[in-house]
Amino acid sequence: MTNMNVVGKRVLRQDAFEKVVGGKGFPVNVRLPGMLHGKLLRSPYPHARIVRMDTARAEQMPGVKAVITPADVPQIPYNPIFFMPVTSAGLVRDMLILSDTVRFAGQPVAAIAAISAAIAEQALQMIEVDYEELPAVFDPDEATRDGAPEIHAGVKNNISDTPSFAIGDIEAGFREADHIFEGTYETPRVHTCYMEPRVCVADTDTNGHITIYSSIQHLFGLRERMAYALGLSVSQVKVVQPPYIGGGFGSKLDMVYAEPLAALLSARTRRPVRIKHTRYEDFITNARHPMKVYLKTGIRKDGTFCARYARTQCDTSAYASQGPVVIMVHAHYGLMLGYRSPHLKWEGKVVLTNNIPGGAFRGYGAPQACFAVESQIDEICEELGFDPIEFRLKNTPRRGDPHPFNPEWKLDTYALDECLARGAERIGWSQRARAGSSSSTKKRGIGMAAHPLWVSGCVGFPDIYEHSGAIIKLNVDGTANLSSATMDIGSGQNTVLCQIAAEELGLADGAVLMSPGSTDTLPFDAPTHASRGTYSSGNAVKVAAAAAKKRLLEVAAVIMEANADDLEVCNGVITVKGSPARSMSVADVVKRAESPYMVIGEQGPAPTVLEEKGTIMGLSSLAPSTNPSPAVAEFVEVEVDTETGQVKVLRAVYAHDLGRVINPAAAEGQVEGGLQQGIGFALMENMLFDPESGACLTSDFLDYKMPTAVEMPRHIESIFIESNEPSGPFGAKSLAEACLIVPAPAIANAIYNATGARIRSLPITPEKILKALGKL
Amino acid sequence: MKQLISLEVNGDRHEIAVEPDATLLEVLRDHLGLLGTKQGCDSGGCGCCTVHIGDRAVYSCMKYALSAQHQKITTIEGLGADGKLDAVQDAFVREGAVQCGYCTCGMIMTAKQLLHDDPHPDEDAIRHGIAGNLCRCTGYHKIVEAIRTAARD
Ligand code: FES
Ligand code: FES
Repeated sequence: MTNMNVVGKRVLRQDAFEKVVGGKGFPVNVRLPGMLHGKLLRSPYPHARIVRMDTARAEQMPGVKAVITPADVPQIPYNPIFFMPVTSAGLVRDMLILSDTVRFAGQPVAAIAAISAAIAEQALQMIEVDYEELPAVFDPDEATRDGAPEIHAGVKNNISDTPSFAIGDIEAGFREADHIFEGTYETPRVHTCYMEPRVCVADTDTNGHITIYSSIQHLFGLRERMAYALGLSVSQVKVVQPPYIGGGFGSKLDMVYAEPLAALLSARTRRPVRIKHTRYEDFITNARHPMKVYLKTGIRKDGTFCARYARTQCDTSAYASQGPVVIMVHAHYGLMLGYRSPHLKWEGKVVLTNNIPGGAFRGYGAPQACFAVESQIDEICEELGFDPIEFRLKNTPRRGDPHPFNPEWKLDTYALDECLARGAERIGWSQRARAGSSSSTKKRGIGMAAHPLWVSGCVGFPDIYEHSGAIIKLNVDGTANLSSATMDIGSGQNTVLCQIAAEELGLADGAVLMSPGSTDTLPFDAPTHASRGTYSSGNAVKVAAAAAKKRLLEVAAVIMEANADDLEVCNGVITVKGSPARSMSVADVVKRAESPYMVIGEQGPAPTVLEEKGTIMGLSSLAPSTNPSPAVAEFVEVEVDTETGQVKVLRAVYAHDLGRVINPAAAEGQVEGGLQQGIGFALMENMLFDPESGACLTSDFLDYKMPTAVEMPRHIESIFIESNEPSGPFGAKSLAEACLIVPAPAIANAIYNATGARIRSLPITPEKILKALGKL
Repeated sequence: MKQLISLEVNGDRHEIAVEPDATLLEVLRDHLGLLGTKQGCDSGGCGCCTVHIGDRAVYSCMKYALSAQHQKITTIEGLGADGKLDAVQDAFVREGAVQCGYCTCGMIMTAKQLLHDDPHPDEDAIRHGIAGNLCRCTGYHKIVEAIRTAARD
């Protein structure tokens, strides 16, 4: 696609100018007149029943304005996840805003509002609670044994869900196999570590209408859940859109206890109430689901798969929450659909434990799967002597194939082959040494992993929201304001959406500005998740921009006495096609459209034309018709110190077929940030808990280690393959998540290539490496 | 019991009554309304709260406000002049080093000190210099670039 003025350019992010001087728009900065501060009392026990609670002393403390206990809270069971209707048949509604049963250490049992956070904090100590401790279980294997503690009444053996699917005849498939490989792969509980804490300010008026400001990834999801759990109707809850939030990465796709509690405290006190999490509270709010995957693969002599079987155990923790959903995405888009096999079977188990709740995290079940699949492929290739790239190409879908998830979609713009070829070339794949062949103590190795199939949003998934909307309004100075309920959680999505609007409208770079609104004023948008922003919200923005442009040219046609079809607009100037002398600026057209009917000029009052009157704008609300798949491959070079077990990632080359790059700088930023999270997942991050009390032991950044600038590779290369997806805005598909799905197996495979040690559980710590090398 | 203290922040002197255990971070944000300095952890682990005391970059969450009297404190709001961005701020915008932006102000304050101590740092010096500031969005790549650019210009 040529002749684009704004799309494809390194347009500077508008929000960056504000963020480098202080970033006043973060929800953590919201302060309202008369605002009180709320704090939550949290249970020290992982499993307990409250037998008595006395709040009298806390209530009498000077400065305390309200205390709320389970008895003051609507007992409406809900599910906190934003992206499905709360009443969906597929959701388990097992959480309460406050309950007299506690199921994880740190679950809130009461809330206080006071004139300062310090007073609220002190008052928490004044609440007397008698708990009856119940036996707790943290290990999912133990939780499913007969006689294990019952976490939710009626959930037998704590098994919340046992989904499965099969194609063909798995037994027959394995009988056909010349070789069979099997292994169990485990991934830990890791945290998204968004930098801005969860924070909200709720303000309830005397009619019971709630206005809430919160650090979230979905405005409408919060509105729906707040209304449901509080027994209100949605129009009684208004969620104000922050211009940006300090990261989310999936964690902010759930309603947290603080949000409805702030609203209840505000209703009590008739004052705005702010609740801000401490970092400890953030850590115990939600985390990636730990999974254990058993994977068995049957292969024919020619290197094609004939049978693939997998079994996944997912620790969904104290509440079902995301578990039954995440495991399905994990199975389809993580384990099974990326490679062809005539026979396949998968069985899942979602297990309740007394651990902290599982939540969404960039990649949603796929990083756990990709680690298993891509590690095992490496094992197969090593043992049978196949080239890992050719082997993958033999077994992955090909361009033009029907989409494995829904055969009505076609993989028409699918460029995994190009990702593999270009990535291999850049890393120097052909010079890769044989595994474990280095004789020095510091050994270098190269590894790769692919993720053949991923999503651009959620079209095709049952009961998941996917439509988007946008409003674009032109100004008399030739600029436009864009409003959309989509949340820019840091990716630069708003800048990308403004670029799409400017390109479609024929305005210059920077002429479209994002204007935040609220759930009262904006059309619905599904959350910022599932790599959907550029593709889905981008499509809605493009359609709204096209509508505004149509009106713009109609008005221009009246003024310029031309036919609208003969007009074109570029860089803010409208011209008659083929006669550039006949032109008018967009600003002048909008000025005329916005001017009064009678205009007093030098000749006195004169009428303008009625047909040209009115604000020039466009709006849209729509869902995409399909779900094109990006394809990705990552190549890394590592150095393993076999004396200390330390791993350094030296280089990373990431190739991604994203259809079209709208903003190269923003796209690279996604890849580089995804790699930081991927290296953390591969080598260092792991939440630890006290085995007796279930208390989180890694609840600050001194104990929970993630990569700093020192642990990151000096060389990160992003290769973007522009396959030009016809259903996407200017050819775009998706980007955001895959760059965190592939790093861990690529690093594990590189460690194998360096040392000959295969490690099947993350994180790959120095201890595990030394053990594998027989040095511990 | 609250005490009356006097702080000089960005050239302005403020008299404020604070609890003796109030951190500088708390006082900057909640008493003085200087919201550019962020709290990411409140325990010396993230660097979001970095400010300058004199020409040293410090975690303001780890500093009692009382102990910062009689020293010149600079926050992100004190950078740049005449409505223009400071060179480091400008480089962060131009190099695409800002994503969610929550770490950004602390990162810039650390980078300022780094360049003050060593106007032409090599890549290793930059990476070690900002190792006390976490960023979860950028992978640090463009942050390192931005600091290099600021050093060059
Ligand atoms: S808030 Fe001070 S280091 Fe994190
Ligand atoms: S830009 Fe988000 S934490 Fe650094």
